[in-house]
Order: sequence, then C-alpha cells, then structure tokens
Amino acid sequence: MSESLAVGRAEGWARAQPQARAQPQARAKSGATALDPRRTLQLALAALWLFDGILQYQPSMFTTAFPQMLGDSAQGNPAVVAGPITWSAGLIDHHLALLNAVFATIQVALGLGIAWRPTVKAALAASVAWSLAVWWLGEGLGGVLAGTASLIDGAPGAVILYAVLAVLLWPADRAAEAPFTAARGAGPGLARALWLAVWGSMAVLAVLPAARAPQALSGAISDMASGEPTWLAWLDIHAASALNQHGLAASIVLSAVLAALAASVFLPVRRLRPVLVLALVVAVVLWLAQGLGGVLTGMSTDPNSGPLLALLALSFWPAPRPAEGSPA
Amino acid sequence: MSGMSGPGWLAGIFAALMLTVATYCTGRLVAARAWRRPTELDTDGAHVVMGVAMAGMLVTGLRTFPVSLWAGVFAAGAAWFGYHALRARRAAPATPWRCLQPAPHLVECAAMLFMLLAVPASAAFLALLPAVFLLGWVIRLADRLAVPVPAFAAAPGTPAPAQLMAGGTGTPGRPAGLLAPRCAALCSMAMGITMGYMLITML
Repeated sequence: MSESLAVGRAEGWARAQPQARAQPQARAKSGATALDPRRTLQLALAALWLFDGILQYQPSMFTTAFPQMLGDSAQGNPAVVAGPITWSAGLIDHHLALLNAVFATIQVALGLGIAWRPTVKAALAASVAWSLAVWWLGEGLGGVLAGTASLIDGAPGAVILYAVLAVLLWPADRAAEAPFTAARGAGPGLARALWLAVWGSMAVLAVLPAARAPQALSGAISDMASGEPTWLAWLDIHAASALNQHGLAASIVLSAVLAALAASVFLPVRRLRPVLVLALVVAVVLWLAQGLGGVLTGMSTDPNSGPLLALLALSFWPAPRPAEGSPA
Repeated sequence: MSGMSGPGWLAGIFAALMLTVATYCTGRLVAARAWRRPTELDTDGAHVVMGVAMAGMLVTGLRTFPVSLWAGVFAAGAAWFGYHALRARRAAPATPWRCLQPAPHLVECAAMLFMLLAVPASAAFLALLPAVFLLGWVIRLADRLAVPVPAFAAAPGTPAPAQLMAGGTGTPGRPAGLLAPRCAALCSMAMGITMGYMLITML
C-alpha cells in the first residue's frame, strides 16, 4: 500500500471534514507535510523542466528547423565556441528523430526527478550539467561572446538560469538563519553573487551596441509577433511601435533599472520586498516582450527567461524561519 | 477533431501507454470489487474511457466510437467532477470510493472536450492553459510519491478511509489500504503528460 497517495487522500479526506479542519495541530502531529517555500520553488522549477520537455516533443522539433536553429547560434562566436556548436548541430541533423526524442525525454526526466523527493539532488545536479551543455551547444552562450545578445531573446541565456536556480534551490541548510530562501542551500554570499551576476549581466547586455541601436529593441520585439495569437501579436507590435527610433533611450532606462535591481540585493533584507516586486514586474514585462517565449507558436523549445527571472526573484523573498525537520 | 500532428512513432508510443493505462485501470475496477479494496471508482472509470479515447485520437487505426459519443461521455464526466468539486468546497462528506481531488479530473475532461471538438487555431492559448495545469498536477503527484504516510488526522468519530477499509481484506495488524495508490498516481501522471503533449501539439 502506498504511502503517497494515501497522504493526499488523508489530507483531502481531512479537508472534507469540518471537525478535522478545526484541528490543524492534530494534522501537524500526524506528520502531514506542508510545502515550505523552497520546496514550492523546486516544484515550480520542475514544472518548467517538464514543460520544456513537452515543448521539445512538438512536431516542429522533429524537422530540420531544429538543428538549423542550433547551428545558427554559432554565428559570430569565436571558433573555439562555434566549432562544437556546428558539430553538434550536424550530429543532430543526422539523427534528428532519435536525438530530439532523447533530449525531450531527458528534460521530462529532469522535471519528474526534481519533483520526486528521493531524486531531487541528483536531478538538480544533472540539470546544472544539462543547462551548461545546452547553453553552449544550443544557445551559443546566449550570444554573449558574439555581441548579439538581446534581452528579448533571453540573454544571457534562458537555459543558464535553470542552472542558477538549481544552485539556489539546492536542498541543504548551510546558513543557520538564512535571510531568504535562496541562501539556505547556497549561503547568502553565493546567492547574492549569483543575483548580481544575472541582473548585472543583463544591465550590461542592454546597452551593448547591437542592443542600443535606434531600432534594435523595437525590431526584436516586433519579430516576436510572428506566429503569435492575435492579442499577443497586437501587444508586441504596439510595444515595438512605441519604442521605434527610441532604442537608445529605452536601452539606457532598461539598463539603469536592471543595474539598480542587481545592486539592491545588498540592501537589508527588510527592504528587499519592493525590489523583488520590481523584479517580478520586469520579468513579466520582459516575458510579454518575448512573446511568452514563443510557446504559442509551436516553434519554441522553452518559455524563455521571463518565468525563470520571476522564480529567481521569488527565491530571494524573505522567508520565514524553516520549521524543524521540514523536508527539503 | 483537432489539428494534432507529430511523428507517427511518437504518437504510437503514447497510444500504447494510454491503452496500458486503460487496461490497468479496468483491472483496478475488477480487483477493487473482487478484493473489496477501495479505489477511486470515478477516477479509474474516467481513465479507462480517456485512455481508449486518447489512443484513438493519437492513432487513427485505434479509433472506436464517433467523436460525438466521446464528447457526450466527457461532458458527463466534466459535469460529474464539477459537481464533486463544488461539493468538496462545501466540505460535504467524502467516501474513499470517490475522487477526493476532482478539479484535475474536471480539467482532464474539459481538455478532452477541447481536443475532440473542432477548435479554431486562434484559440491556441486555450490549449496551453489545461496543458500547463495538467503538467503542474503531474509535478504535484510526483512530489507526493515519496511522502511518508501520516497517522490519520480526522476528528474522533469521523470515519477515515482506513477505517472504512477495515471491513476489507487487510492482513492482520495492517488495515486494508487503498488499492495500489502509487500505481494510480503513475497512471494519472502518464495521463497528464500524454494529454499535455496532445494539447501542446495543437498549438
């Protein structure tokens, strides 16, 4: 007999009983476990991996458009970076159906592995390795070395954010009294450094020559409208129209906001909430500008960086002190 | 029916998975009656019909009944799970023979209707909502697969599922439990992933 669903059933049964709802302490004594903030974020990360895996199963991923898209990411990169990208794109082109199915299955397995408690550490570790490999061979290091990185395309690379989140949500408790969830496993120093690296790099990338050109931002956003549902295309086209010829000013403002977000992680924790709300707003706006990562076009491999940035912000939300013996 | 597309061999694998789930859930219904062990009759029943219907949607050769009949079945299923979702919110008495968490199954039935009935391409966004919901449900199920069993936490005098099962065929010292809940959870996960795939291929 299993324990798993018995828990769900017992909880559901107890919820259905008015008397039982009046006895939360009895339920606590019984061992019925509530999700702590870190576990909730781990499950959200798992859901994103699972979603990525399902997207990888889309029909368009079994066509030559997929290896071509991978091969295109080599452009502009140094030879030492571009060589392996071209090689892997060629390999995938030759064994397209098999390798794409394997990739999709790996991502589904990562999602389920993070969601299943006994394998959470192994799956998070594997997700770091997988993310780094995809960041190089699938995203060309996000175009950072090519000088073509664009925040609208997810720079510095949506997939690298999976690795960052895996580190921040690692199920360990190194810091005795962690100021926020991300510091529990990684420690406050490393957590703040990763936050600074992510938002700081975005601030820099926002003002690179390719990104600050007069029509760079509006052009990137309007490109996202292709293949989108009408309402989202309308949104992106109008945003692009408003930014037309104002690329430099928009890039400077965006960069300033991102730099402020990056630096504010060193504020006292009690003052962090407004910053995190701003980070969530930026993530949502960015995701809309990214056309929701193109997930509605049937050509997307992932939902892009918006949801991951939101998850990153939530992992820095000041957390209540973890209950004793709470699970990872 | 929908505009689903994708590699034929992949659809075949998912169809085989769905038929396996349907067969297994049929076995659960038979075993629950033979061994007098509680199981979620409505969930298992829904998985049997969903498994058969989805296999037919994935592989043309496995089609059985006309779309209109399937649509009627899943409309009735949606009404059933919707009704029990409302009852659950009102803290109505539950039994171990009925699903305690009807909302995901309501979404499953709604998604089946969505896929069976002709949906315009502009409604692609609508396909994503149940897909995301179902994938989230799969993740929650996976999370629960390793949680230890707590002692039952209802008020004194409230019949718990385990107590209701006591009249069953449990071994001495161990009350009869719900029928293979881990396997039931795995069936739900397989169903959720397959349905998520089918919905996303409709985008």
